[in-house]
Amino acid sequence: MSIILDKVNYEYSKGTAYEKKALRNINLEIRDGEFIGLIGHTGSGKSTLIQHLNGLLRATSGAIYYNGQDIYDEDYKMKDLRSKVGLVFQYPEHQLFETTVLRDVKFGPSNQGLPALEVDLRAYEALKQVGIGEDMLDLSPFELSGGQKRRVAIAGVLAMKPEVLILDEPTAGLDPKGRDEILDQIAKLHQENKITVILVSHSMEDVAKYVSRLIVMNRGEAVFDGSPKKVFRHYKELERIGLAAPQVTYVMNELAERGVMVSTDATTVEEAGAEILQWAKKCGII
Amino acid sequence: MIRDITIGQYYPVDSVIHRLDPRVKLMGTLIYIISLFLFKSFTGYLVALVFLGAVIKLSRVPLGYILRGLKAVIVLLFFTIGFNIFLTPGQVIWQAWVFKITREGLRSGAFMGIRLIFLIVGSSLMTFTTTPNHLTDGLERLLGPFKRLHMPVHEVSMMMSIALRFIPILLEETDKIMKAQSARGADFESGGLIKKAKSLVPLLVPLFVSAFRRANDLAMAMEARCYRGGEGRTKMKPLKYGRRDYIAYGMIALYLGALFLITRYLWK
Repeated sequence: MSIILDKVNYEYSKGTAYEKKALRNINLEIRDGEFIGLIGHTGSGKSTLIQHLNGLLRATSGAIYYNGQDIYDEDYKMKDLRSKVGLVFQYPEHQLFETTVLRDVKFGPSNQGLPALEVDLRAYEALKQVGIGEDMLDLSPFELSGGQKRRVAIAGVLAMKPEVLILDEPTAGLDPKGRDEILDQIAKLHQENKITVILVSHSMEDVAKYVSRLIVMNRGEAVFDGSPKKVFRHYKELERIGLAAPQVTYVMNELAERGVMVSTDATTVEEAGAEILQWAKKCGII
Repeated sequence: MIRDITIGQYYPVDSVIHRLDPRVKLMGTLIYIISLFLFKSFTGYLVALVFLGAVIKLSRVPLGYILRGLKAVIVLLFFTIGFNIFLTPGQVIWQAWVFKITREGLRSGAFMGIRLIFLIVGSSLMTFTTTPNHLTDGLERLLGPFKRLHMPVHEVSMMMSIALRFIPILLEETDKIMKAQSARGADFESGGLIKKAKSLVPLLVPLFVSAFRRANDLAMAMEARCYRGGEGRTKMKPLKYGRRDYIAYGMIALYLGALFLITRYLWK
Protein backbone atom coordinates (compact mmCIF):
# COMPACT_ATOMS: atom_id res chain seq x y z
CA MET A 1 0.00 0.00 0.00
CA SER A 2 1.59 3.22 -1.11
CA ILE A 3 1.49 6.24 -3.37
CA ILE A 4 3.82 6.02 -6.33
CA LEU A 5 4.67 8.95 -8.57
CA ASP A 6 6.20 8.00 -11.88
CA LYS A 7 7.94 10.73 -13.92
CA VAL A 8 5.40 13.37 -12.97
CA ASN A 9 5.67 16.73 -14.76
CA TYR A 10 3.43 19.74 -14.36
CA GLU A 11 3.29 23.02 -16.25
CA TYR A 12 1.20 26.07 -15.36
CA SER A 13 -0.61 28.14 -18.00
CA LYS A 14 1.03 26.50 -20.98
CA GLY A 15 1.43 28.76 -23.98
CA THR A 16 1.20 32.13 -22.20
CA ALA A 17 3.64 34.58 -20.64
CA TYR A 18 2.88 32.99 -17.30
CA GLU A 19 4.05 29.56 -18.42
CA LYS A 20 6.02 27.86 -15.72
CA LYS A 21 7.33 24.37 -15.19
CA ALA A 22 6.30 23.66 -11.63
CA LEU A 23 7.29 19.99 -11.40
CA ARG A 24 10.06 18.25 -13.29
CA ASN A 25 10.26 14.51 -13.49
CA ILE A 26 9.23 13.60 -9.95
CA ASN A 27 9.69 9.95 -9.00
CA LEU A 28 8.64 9.06 -5.47
CA GLU A 29 7.24 6.26 -3.42
CA ILE A 30 5.34 7.13 -0.27
CA ARG A 31 4.85 4.04 1.87
CA ASP A 32 2.19 3.39 4.50
CA GLY A 33 2.81 4.82 7.94
CA GLU A 34 5.64 7.11 6.95
CA PHE A 35 6.07 10.56 8.48
CA ILE A 36 7.51 12.65 5.70
CA GLY A 37 8.75 16.23 5.69
CA LEU A 38 8.51 18.03 2.36
CA ILE A 39 10.80 21.00 2.29
CA GLY A 40 11.64 23.71 -0.17
CA HIS A 41 11.51 27.47 -0.31
CA THR A 42 8.63 29.47 -1.81
CA GLY A 43 7.94 28.49 -5.40
CA SER A 44 9.90 25.25 -5.28
CA GLY A 45 6.84 23.22 -6.25
CA LYS A 46 5.97 21.61 -2.94
CA SER A 47 2.38 22.88 -2.83
CA THR A 48 1.94 21.85 -6.46
CA LEU A 49 3.26 18.40 -5.69
CA ILE A 50 0.86 17.72 -2.84
CA GLN A 51 -2.12 18.84 -4.90
CA HIS A 52 -1.29 16.03 -7.30
CA LEU A 53 -1.49 13.46 -4.55
CA ASN A 54 -5.26 13.84 -4.16
CA GLY A 55 -5.98 14.64 -7.77
CA LEU A 56 -6.71 18.37 -7.45
CA LEU A 57 -4.12 19.04 -10.14
CA ARG A 58 -3.58 16.76 -13.06
CA ALA A 59 -0.04 16.05 -14.13
CA THR A 60 0.92 17.28 -17.60
CA SER A 61 2.71 13.97 -18.05
CA GLY A 62 3.56 10.96 -15.91
CA ALA A 63 1.47 8.67 -13.75
CA ILE A 64 0.38 8.46 -10.12
CA TYR A 65 -0.67 5.21 -8.47
CA TYR A 66 -2.61 5.02 -5.23
CA ASN A 67 -2.46 1.53 -3.75
CA GLY A 68 -1.55 0.17 -7.15
CA GLN A 69 -4.36 1.89 -9.04
CA ASP A 70 -3.70 4.54 -11.65
CA ILE A 71 -5.59 7.62 -10.46
CA TYR A 72 -5.85 8.95 -14.01
CA ASP A 73 -7.81 5.88 -15.12
CA GLU A 74 -11.14 6.93 -16.56
CA ASP A 75 -13.20 4.92 -14.11
CA TYR A 76 -11.13 5.86 -11.07
CA LYS A 77 -13.27 7.73 -8.56
CA MET A 78 -11.49 10.99 -7.64
CA LYS A 79 -13.94 11.56 -4.81
CA ASP A 80 -12.80 8.36 -3.09
CA LEU A 81 -9.19 9.38 -3.48
CA ARG A 82 -9.94 12.73 -1.86
CA SER A 83 -11.42 11.08 1.19
CA LYS A 84 -8.43 8.74 1.49
CA VAL A 85 -5.82 11.43 0.98
CA GLY A 86 -6.75 14.30 3.30
CA LEU A 87 -5.20 17.62 2.33
CA VAL A 88 -5.03 20.53 4.75
CA PHE A 89 -4.19 23.68 2.81
CA GLN A 90 -2.12 26.62 3.94
CA TYR A 91 -4.16 28.88 6.20
CA PRO A 92 -6.97 26.30 6.33
CA GLU A 93 -8.99 28.61 8.58
CA HIS A 94 -9.83 30.61 5.45
CA GLN A 95 -12.07 27.79 4.28
CA LEU A 96 -14.43 27.80 7.28
CA PHE A 97 -17.96 28.74 6.31
CA GLU A 98 -20.57 27.11 8.52
CA THR A 99 -22.58 28.65 11.32
CA THR A 100 -21.09 26.49 14.06
CA VAL A 101 -17.80 24.71 14.63
CA LEU A 102 -19.45 21.31 14.73
CA ARG A 103 -21.34 21.81 11.48
CA ASP A 104 -18.19 22.92 9.74
CA VAL A 105 -16.31 19.80 10.78
CA LYS A 106 -19.25 17.68 9.65
CA PHE A 107 -19.03 19.06 6.10
CA GLY A 108 -16.33 16.62 4.98
CA PRO A 109 -17.76 13.37 6.36
CA SER A 110 -21.30 14.22 5.24
CA ASN A 111 -19.96 14.73 1.70
CA GLN A 112 -18.68 11.16 1.97
CA GLY A 113 -22.30 10.04 2.25
CA LEU A 114 -22.00 8.49 5.71
CA PRO A 115 -25.02 7.98 8.00
CA ALA A 116 -25.76 10.97 10.24
CA LEU A 117 -24.72 9.19 13.43
CA GLU A 118 -21.35 8.22 11.99
CA VAL A 119 -20.83 11.80 10.79
CA ASP A 120 -21.52 13.11 14.30
CA LEU A 121 -19.20 10.58 15.91
CA ARG A 122 -16.37 11.39 13.55
CA ALA A 123 -16.79 15.12 14.04
CA TYR A 124 -16.68 14.79 17.83
CA GLU A 125 -13.67 12.51 17.65
CA ALA A 126 -11.75 14.77 15.25
CA LEU A 127 -12.42 17.85 17.37
CA LYS A 128 -11.20 15.99 20.43
CA GLN A 129 -8.07 14.94 18.61
CA VAL A 130 -7.14 18.53 17.83
CA GLY A 131 -7.93 19.66 21.36
CA ILE A 132 -11.11 21.69 20.75
CA GLY A 133 -13.25 21.46 23.87
CA GLU A 134 -16.95 20.65 23.87
CA ASP A 135 -17.80 24.17 25.05
CA MET A 136 -16.75 25.50 21.64
CA LEU A 137 -18.81 23.19 19.44
CA ASP A 138 -21.74 25.56 19.03
CA LEU A 139 -19.76 28.75 18.60
CA SER A 140 -19.43 30.36 15.22
CA PRO A 141 -16.03 29.45 13.79
CA PHE A 142 -15.46 33.15 13.14
CA GLU A 143 -15.53 33.85 16.87
CA LEU A 144 -12.49 31.68 17.61
CA SER A 145 -8.87 32.74 17.83
CA GLY A 146 -6.50 32.14 14.93
CA GLY A 147 -4.95 28.99 16.40
CA GLN A 148 -8.34 27.55 17.32
CA LYS A 149 -9.73 28.26 13.85
CA ARG A 150 -6.83 26.42 12.34
CA ARG A 151 -7.37 23.40 14.57
CA VAL A 152 -11.06 23.32 13.68
CA ALA A 153 -10.10 23.39 10.00
CA ILE A 154 -7.66 20.53 10.50
CA ALA A 155 -10.37 18.61 12.34
CA GLY A 156 -12.57 19.13 9.27
CA VAL A 157 -10.14 17.04 7.26
CA LEU A 158 -9.41 14.53 10.04
CA ALA A 159 -13.12 13.77 10.39
CA MET A 160 -12.96 12.22 6.93
CA LYS A 161 -10.61 9.60 8.40
CA PRO A 162 -7.98 9.85 5.68
CA GLU A 163 -5.34 7.15 5.26
CA VAL A 164 -2.84 9.80 4.26
CA LEU A 165 -2.82 13.24 5.86
CA ILE A 166 -1.03 16.05 4.07
CA LEU A 167 -0.55 19.39 5.79
CA ASP A 168 0.71 22.44 3.89
CA GLU A 169 2.59 24.69 6.32
CA PRO A 170 0.23 23.99 9.21
CA THR A 171 2.19 26.28 11.52
CA ALA A 172 2.47 29.36 9.28
CA GLY A 173 1.62 32.50 11.20
CA LEU A 174 1.25 30.81 14.59
CA ASP A 175 3.17 31.71 17.72
CA PRO A 176 5.75 29.20 19.03
CA LYS A 177 3.29 27.73 21.52
CA GLY A 178 0.57 27.24 18.93
CA ARG A 179 3.12 25.79 16.56
CA ASP A 180 4.37 23.20 19.04
CA GLU A 181 0.82 22.25 20.01
CA ILE A 182 -0.22 21.59 16.45
CA LEU A 183 2.94 19.68 15.55
CA ASP A 184 2.68 17.56 18.71
CA GLN A 185 -0.94 16.75 17.91
CA ILE A 186 0.02 15.73 14.40
CA ALA A 187 2.81 13.50 15.68
CA LYS A 188 0.36 11.91 18.12
CA LEU A 189 -2.11 11.26 15.33
CA HIS A 190 0.60 9.62 13.31
CA GLN A 191 1.56 7.34 16.17
CA GLU A 192 -1.90 6.44 17.43
CA ASN A 193 -3.87 6.18 14.21
CA LYS A 194 -1.01 4.82 12.12
CA ILE A 195 -1.76 7.19 9.27
CA THR A 196 0.79 8.39 6.76
CA VAL A 197 1.62 12.04 7.33
CA ILE A 198 3.26 14.44 4.90
CA LEU A 199 4.26 17.72 6.47
CA VAL A 200 5.11 20.61 4.15
CA SER A 201 7.29 23.23 5.70
CA HIS A 202 10.21 25.49 5.13
CA SER A 203 11.39 25.34 8.70
CA MET A 204 14.05 22.67 9.14
CA GLU A 205 13.80 22.89 12.91
CA ASP A 206 10.11 21.97 12.91
CA VAL A 207 10.55 19.11 10.58
CA ALA A 208 13.76 17.56 11.90
CA LYS A 209 12.16 16.90 15.26
CA TYR A 210 9.25 14.86 13.92
CA VAL A 211 9.76 13.29 10.55
CA SER A 212 11.49 10.05 9.60
CA ARG A 213 12.06 11.00 5.98
CA LEU A 214 12.80 14.28 4.29
CA ILE A 215 12.18 15.25 0.68
CA VAL A 216 13.81 18.47 -0.45
CA MET A 217 12.36 20.31 -3.44
CA ASN A 218 14.12 22.90 -5.55
CA ARG A 219 12.78 24.45 -8.77
CA GLY A 220 10.29 21.65 -9.26
CA GLU A 221 12.75 18.84 -8.68
CA ALA A 222 13.13 16.53 -5.72
CA VAL A 223 16.82 17.06 -5.02
CA PHE A 224 17.26 15.12 -1.78
CA ASP A 225 15.27 12.25 -0.35
CA GLY A 226 16.28 10.38 2.78
CA SER A 227 16.38 10.43 6.56
CA PRO A 228 16.90 13.87 8.12
CA LYS A 229 20.39 12.86 9.21
CA LYS A 230 21.31 11.88 5.68
CA VAL A 231 19.83 15.00 4.15
CA PHE A 232 21.39 17.40 6.61
CA ARG A 233 24.84 16.03 5.79
CA HIS A 234 24.40 18.04 2.60
CA TYR A 235 23.93 21.24 4.56
CA LYS A 236 26.25 23.16 2.28
CA GLU A 237 24.21 22.23 -0.80
CA LEU A 238 21.03 23.04 1.09
CA GLU A 239 22.35 26.54 1.69
CA ARG A 240 23.05 26.95 -1.98
CA ILE A 241 19.37 26.42 -2.78
CA GLY A 242 18.24 28.88 -0.14
CA LEU A 243 17.57 26.45 2.70
CA ALA A 244 19.50 25.68 5.83
CA ALA A 245 20.03 22.72 8.12
CA PRO A 246 18.87 23.03 11.75
CA GLN A 247 21.11 25.25 13.82
CA VAL A 248 22.43 22.32 15.85
CA THR A 249 23.84 20.80 12.67
CA TYR A 250 26.02 23.88 12.31
CA VAL A 251 27.07 23.75 15.95
CA MET A 252 28.02 20.07 15.69
CA ASN A 253 29.91 20.56 12.44
CA GLU A 254 31.80 23.50 13.89
CA LEU A 255 32.67 21.46 17.00
CA ALA A 256 33.87 18.54 14.89
CA GLU A 257 35.99 20.87 12.79
CA ARG A 258 37.68 22.21 15.90
CA GLY A 259 38.64 18.72 16.97
CA VAL A 260 35.80 17.84 19.33
CA MET A 261 35.06 14.17 18.66
CA VAL A 262 31.27 14.35 18.23
CA SER A 263 29.10 12.86 15.52
CA THR A 264 27.72 15.55 13.21
CA ASP A 265 24.50 13.60 12.66
CA ALA A 266 22.50 15.16 15.48
CA THR A 267 19.44 16.95 14.13
CA THR A 268 17.66 18.03 17.31
CA VAL A 269 18.85 19.92 20.34
CA GLU A 270 18.22 16.88 22.55
CA GLU A 271 20.35 14.60 20.40
CA ALA A 272 23.12 17.16 20.20
CA GLY A 273 23.05 17.63 23.97
CA ALA A 274 23.33 13.90 24.58
CA GLU A 275 26.16 13.63 22.08
CA ILE A 276 28.16 16.44 23.69
CA LEU A 277 27.58 15.07 27.20
CA GLN A 278 28.80 11.68 26.07
CA TRP A 279 31.94 13.23 24.63
CA ALA A 280 32.51 15.24 27.79
CA LYS A 281 32.20 12.12 29.92
CA LYS A 282 34.61 10.24 27.71
CA CYS A 283 37.21 12.95 28.04
CA GLY A 284 36.69 13.13 31.75
CA ILE A 285 35.56 16.77 31.75
CA ILE A 286 32.51 15.91 33.82
CA MET B 1 -10.00 26.09 -14.50
CA ILE B 2 -10.55 29.49 -12.99
CA ARG B 3 -7.13 30.62 -14.12
CA ASP B 4 -8.50 30.56 -17.63
CA ILE B 5 -10.51 33.71 -17.06
CA THR B 6 -8.20 36.20 -18.72
CA ILE B 7 -10.50 39.16 -19.24
CA GLY B 8 -9.43 42.33 -17.45
CA GLN B 9 -5.99 41.08 -16.55
CA TYR B 10 -2.63 42.60 -17.38
CA TYR B 11 -0.41 40.63 -19.73
CA PRO B 12 3.24 41.38 -18.94
CA VAL B 13 5.23 41.68 -22.13
CA ASP B 14 7.10 44.67 -23.50
CA SER B 15 5.63 46.19 -26.65
CA VAL B 16 4.95 49.51 -28.33
CA ILE B 17 1.35 49.33 -27.19
CA HIS B 18 2.37 48.59 -23.62
CA ARG B 19 4.59 51.66 -23.59
CA LEU B 20 1.95 54.05 -24.91
CA ASP B 21 0.60 56.70 -22.60
CA PRO B 22 -2.49 55.29 -20.88
CA ARG B 23 -4.49 58.34 -21.98
CA VAL B 24 -3.92 57.38 -25.60
CA LYS B 25 -5.11 53.86 -24.92
CA LEU B 26 -8.17 55.03 -23.01
CA MET B 27 -9.16 57.53 -25.67
CA GLY B 28 -8.33 55.05 -28.41
CA THR B 29 -10.51 52.39 -26.83
CA LEU B 30 -13.36 54.85 -26.38
CA ILE B 31 -13.13 56.01 -30.00
CA TYR B 32 -12.87 52.43 -31.19
CA ILE B 33 -15.97 51.43 -29.22
CA ILE B 34 -17.97 54.35 -30.56
CA SER B 35 -16.71 53.66 -34.09
CA LEU B 36 -18.24 50.19 -33.99
CA PHE B 37 -21.67 51.77 -33.75
CA LEU B 38 -21.16 54.17 -36.64
CA PHE B 39 -21.80 51.81 -39.56
CA LYS B 40 -24.46 49.40 -40.69
CA SER B 41 -22.58 47.36 -43.27
CA PHE B 42 -20.21 44.44 -42.83
CA THR B 43 -17.44 46.29 -44.68
CA GLY B 44 -17.03 48.45 -41.59
CA TYR B 45 -15.93 45.36 -39.72
CA LEU B 46 -13.20 44.76 -42.28
CA VAL B 47 -11.70 48.15 -41.49
CA ALA B 48 -12.09 47.54 -37.75
CA LEU B 49 -10.53 44.10 -38.18
CA VAL B 50 -7.48 45.56 -39.90
CA PHE B 51 -7.09 48.13 -37.14
CA LEU B 52 -7.66 45.64 -34.33
CA GLY B 53 -5.38 43.06 -35.96
CA ALA B 54 -2.59 45.62 -36.26
CA VAL B 55 -2.93 46.62 -32.61
CA ILE B 56 -2.97 42.96 -31.48
CA LYS B 57 0.10 42.24 -33.58
CA LEU B 58 1.92 45.26 -32.11
CA SER B 59 0.86 44.42 -28.56
CA ARG B 60 2.54 41.00 -28.72
CA VAL B 61 -0.24 39.47 -26.63
CA PRO B 62 -0.93 35.99 -28.07
CA LEU B 63 -4.21 35.84 -30.00
CA GLY B 64 -5.22 32.61 -28.24
CA TYR B 65 -4.86 34.34 -24.89
CA ILE B 66 -7.09 37.22 -25.99
CA LEU B 67 -9.74 34.94 -27.45
CA ARG B 68 -9.81 32.93 -24.24
CA GLY B 69 -11.25 36.04 -22.60
CA LEU B 70 -14.36 35.55 -24.73
CA LYS B 71 -15.14 32.39 -22.78
CA ALA B 72 -16.33 34.52 -19.88
CA VAL B 73 -19.04 36.15 -21.99
CA ILE B 74 -20.05 33.19 -24.10
CA VAL B 75 -23.52 33.04 -22.53
CA LEU B 76 -24.15 36.70 -23.28
CA LEU B 77 -22.92 36.18 -26.82
CA PHE B 78 -25.15 33.16 -27.23
CA PHE B 79 -28.25 35.04 -26.06
CA THR B 80 -27.55 38.09 -28.20
CA ILE B 81 -27.15 36.05 -31.33
CA GLY B 82 -30.07 33.76 -30.45
CA PHE B 83 -32.54 36.57 -29.80
CA ASN B 84 -31.52 38.37 -32.94
CA ILE B 85 -31.87 35.30 -35.12
CA PHE B 86 -35.25 34.24 -33.80
CA LEU B 87 -36.97 37.50 -32.98
CA THR B 88 -36.22 39.72 -35.95
CA PRO B 89 -39.26 40.06 -38.22
CA GLY B 90 -38.79 39.69 -41.96
CA GLN B 91 -38.54 37.14 -44.73
CA VAL B 92 -38.98 33.70 -43.16
CA ILE B 93 -36.55 31.02 -44.35
CA TRP B 94 -37.09 28.33 -41.74
CA GLN B 95 -39.91 27.69 -39.31
CA ALA B 96 -40.72 25.15 -36.58
CA TRP B 97 -43.54 25.55 -34.08
CA VAL B 98 -43.30 29.16 -32.78
CA PHE B 99 -39.67 29.57 -33.81
CA LYS B 100 -38.84 31.11 -37.12
CA ILE B 101 -35.62 32.25 -38.63
CA THR B 102 -35.67 35.20 -40.97
CA ARG B 103 -33.08 36.38 -43.44
CA GLU B 104 -32.92 39.71 -41.58
CA GLY B 105 -32.57 37.83 -38.29
CA LEU B 106 -29.56 35.88 -39.51
CA ARG B 107 -27.95 39.05 -40.73
CA SER B 108 -28.54 41.01 -37.56
CA GLY B 109 -27.51 38.03 -35.41
CA ALA B 110 -24.20 37.84 -37.22
CA PHE B 111 -23.84 41.62 -37.13
CA MET B 112 -24.48 41.89 -33.38
CA GLY B 113 -22.34 38.85 -32.60
CA ILE B 114 -19.36 40.25 -34.45
CA ARG B 115 -19.88 43.66 -32.86
CA LEU B 116 -19.91 42.13 -29.38
CA ILE B 117 -16.75 40.13 -30.06
CA PHE B 118 -15.02 43.21 -31.45
CA LEU B 119 -16.10 45.24 -28.44
CA ILE B 120 -14.80 42.72 -25.94
CA VAL B 121 -11.54 41.98 -27.72
CA GLY B 122 -10.84 45.68 -28.24
CA SER B 123 -11.54 46.75 -24.69
CA SER B 124 -9.79 43.79 -23.11
CA LEU B 125 -6.74 44.69 -25.18
CA MET B 126 -6.54 47.88 -23.16
CA THR B 127 -6.38 46.04 -19.84
CA PHE B 128 -3.96 43.46 -21.27
CA THR B 129 -1.49 46.20 -22.17
CA THR B 130 -1.98 48.68 -19.31
CA THR B 131 -1.17 48.12 -15.67
CA PRO B 132 -3.94 49.10 -13.26
CA ASN B 133 -1.75 51.90 -11.94
CA HIS B 134 -1.31 53.41 -15.37
CA LEU B 135 -4.96 53.02 -16.11
CA THR B 136 -5.92 54.98 -13.02
CA ASP B 137 -3.40 57.70 -13.76
CA GLY B 138 -4.73 58.03 -17.26
CA LEU B 139 -8.33 58.06 -16.17
CA GLU B 140 -7.68 60.62 -13.49
CA ARG B 141 -6.01 62.97 -15.93
CA LEU B 142 -8.65 62.52 -18.60
CA LEU B 143 -11.48 63.15 -16.16
CA GLY B 144 -9.56 66.02 -14.57
CA PRO B 145 -11.84 68.76 -15.99
CA PHE B 146 -14.82 67.23 -14.23
CA LYS B 147 -13.27 68.06 -10.87
CA ARG B 148 -14.54 71.58 -11.42
CA LEU B 149 -18.05 70.16 -11.27
CA HIS B 150 -17.23 68.60 -7.87
CA MET B 151 -17.04 65.12 -9.26
CA PRO B 152 -14.87 62.88 -7.03
CA VAL B 153 -12.55 62.03 -9.91
CA HIS B 154 -9.63 60.87 -7.82
CA GLU B 155 -11.79 58.68 -5.62
CA VAL B 156 -13.53 57.11 -8.57
CA SER B 157 -10.31 56.28 -10.34
CA MET B 158 -8.77 54.96 -7.13
CA MET B 159 -11.78 52.74 -6.60
CA MET B 160 -11.54 51.50 -10.14
CA SER B 161 -7.88 50.65 -9.87
CA ILE B 162 -8.40 48.80 -6.61
CA ALA B 163 -11.26 46.84 -8.15
CA LEU B 164 -9.12 45.94 -11.14
CA ARG B 165 -6.17 45.05 -8.96
CA PHE B 166 -8.34 42.73 -6.91
CA ILE B 167 -9.74 40.73 -9.82
CA PRO B 168 -6.75 38.36 -10.08
CA ILE B 169 -6.39 38.20 -6.30
CA LEU B 170 -9.98 37.18 -5.79
CA LEU B 171 -9.82 34.74 -8.67
CA GLU B 172 -6.80 33.10 -7.10
CA GLU B 173 -8.56 33.05 -3.75
CA THR B 174 -11.63 31.43 -5.35
CA ASP B 175 -9.42 28.81 -6.91
CA LYS B 176 -7.77 28.10 -3.57
CA ILE B 177 -11.03 27.84 -1.61
CA MET B 178 -12.56 25.70 -4.33
CA LYS B 179 -9.64 23.31 -4.05
CA ALA B 180 -9.77 23.29 -0.26
CA GLN B 181 -13.47 22.45 -0.29
CA SER B 182 -12.99 19.85 -3.03
CA ALA B 183 -10.41 18.24 -0.78
CA ARG B 184 -13.22 17.99 1.78
CA GLY B 185 -15.41 16.23 -0.75
CA ALA B 186 -17.37 19.26 -2.02
CA ASP B 187 -18.79 18.85 -5.49
CA PHE B 188 -19.25 21.99 -7.57
CA GLU B 189 -20.12 20.37 -10.85
CA SER B 190 -22.88 17.77 -10.61
CA GLY B 191 -26.49 18.05 -9.49
CA GLY B 192 -29.44 20.23 -10.48
CA LEU B 193 -29.69 23.99 -10.29
CA ILE B 194 -30.70 24.10 -6.61
CA LYS B 195 -28.02 21.64 -5.55
CA LYS B 196 -25.45 23.57 -7.53
CA ALA B 197 -26.51 26.86 -5.96
CA LYS B 198 -26.33 25.27 -2.52
CA SER B 199 -22.88 23.90 -3.23
CA LEU B 200 -21.68 27.47 -3.74
CA VAL B 201 -22.24 28.38 -0.09
CA PRO B 202 -18.95 26.78 1.08
CA LEU B 203 -17.24 28.80 -1.63
CA LEU B 204 -18.97 32.16 -1.30
CA VAL B 205 -18.91 32.53 2.48
CA PRO B 206 -15.12 32.18 2.79
CA LEU B 207 -14.70 34.35 -0.31
CA PHE B 208 -16.73 37.20 1.22
CA VAL B 209 -14.92 36.87 4.51
CA SER B 210 -11.60 37.05 2.75
CA ALA B 211 -12.66 39.99 0.57
CA PHE B 212 -13.63 41.94 3.68
CA ARG B 213 -10.43 40.97 5.43
CA ARG B 214 -8.37 42.13 2.47
CA ALA B 215 -10.31 45.38 2.17
CA ASN B 216 -9.70 46.00 5.84
CA ASP B 217 -5.98 45.30 5.54
CA LEU B 218 -5.70 47.52 2.50
CA ALA B 219 -7.51 50.40 4.19
CA MET B 220 -5.19 50.04 7.18
CA ALA B 221 -2.09 49.97 4.98
CA MET B 222 -3.26 53.05 3.10
CA GLU B 223 -3.96 54.95 6.28
CA ALA B 224 -0.62 53.91 7.71
CA ARG B 225 0.94 55.69 4.73
CA CYS B 226 -1.13 58.79 5.38
CA TYR B 227 -3.46 58.44 2.42
CA ARG B 228 -6.13 61.16 2.61
CA GLY B 229 -7.58 61.19 -0.86
CA GLY B 230 -6.50 63.17 -3.90
CA GLU B 231 -6.24 66.66 -2.37
CA GLY B 232 -2.73 68.03 -2.87
CA ARG B 233 -1.39 64.68 -3.99
CA THR B 234 1.46 64.75 -6.51
CA LYS B 235 2.77 62.03 -8.77
CA MET B 236 6.21 60.48 -8.79
CA LYS B 237 5.96 59.85 -12.51
CA PRO B 238 3.56 62.39 -14.04
CA LEU B 239 2.18 61.34 -17.40
CA LYS B 240 3.79 63.05 -20.38
CA TYR B 241 2.97 62.62 -24.04
CA GLY B 242 5.87 61.56 -26.27
CA ARG B 243 6.36 61.28 -30.00
CA ARG B 244 5.02 57.75 -29.92
CA ASP B 245 1.76 58.93 -28.39
CA TYR B 246 1.15 61.60 -31.03
CA ILE B 247 1.78 59.01 -33.73
CA ALA B 248 -0.75 56.74 -32.03
CA TYR B 249 -3.35 59.52 -31.98
CA GLY B 250 -2.61 60.01 -35.67
CA MET B 251 -3.22 56.31 -36.31
CA ILE B 252 -6.51 56.42 -34.48
CA ALA B 253 -7.60 59.44 -36.54
CA LEU B 254 -6.51 57.62 -39.67
CA TYR B 255 -8.60 54.60 -38.69
CA LEU B 256 -11.62 56.75 -38.06
CA GLY B 257 -11.16 58.55 -41.36
CA ALA B 258 -10.74 55.31 -43.30
CA LEU B 259 -13.79 53.83 -41.64
CA PHE B 260 -15.85 56.88 -42.49
CA LEU B 261 -14.72 57.04 -46.11
CA ILE B 262 -15.07 53.35 -46.80
CA THR B 263 -18.46 52.79 -45.19
CA ARG B 264 -20.01 56.04 -46.44
CA TYR B 265 -18.63 56.41 -49.93
CA LEU B 266 -16.85 53.31 -51.23
CA TRP B 267 -18.96 50.30 -50.31
CA LYS B 268 -22.14 51.42 -48.70
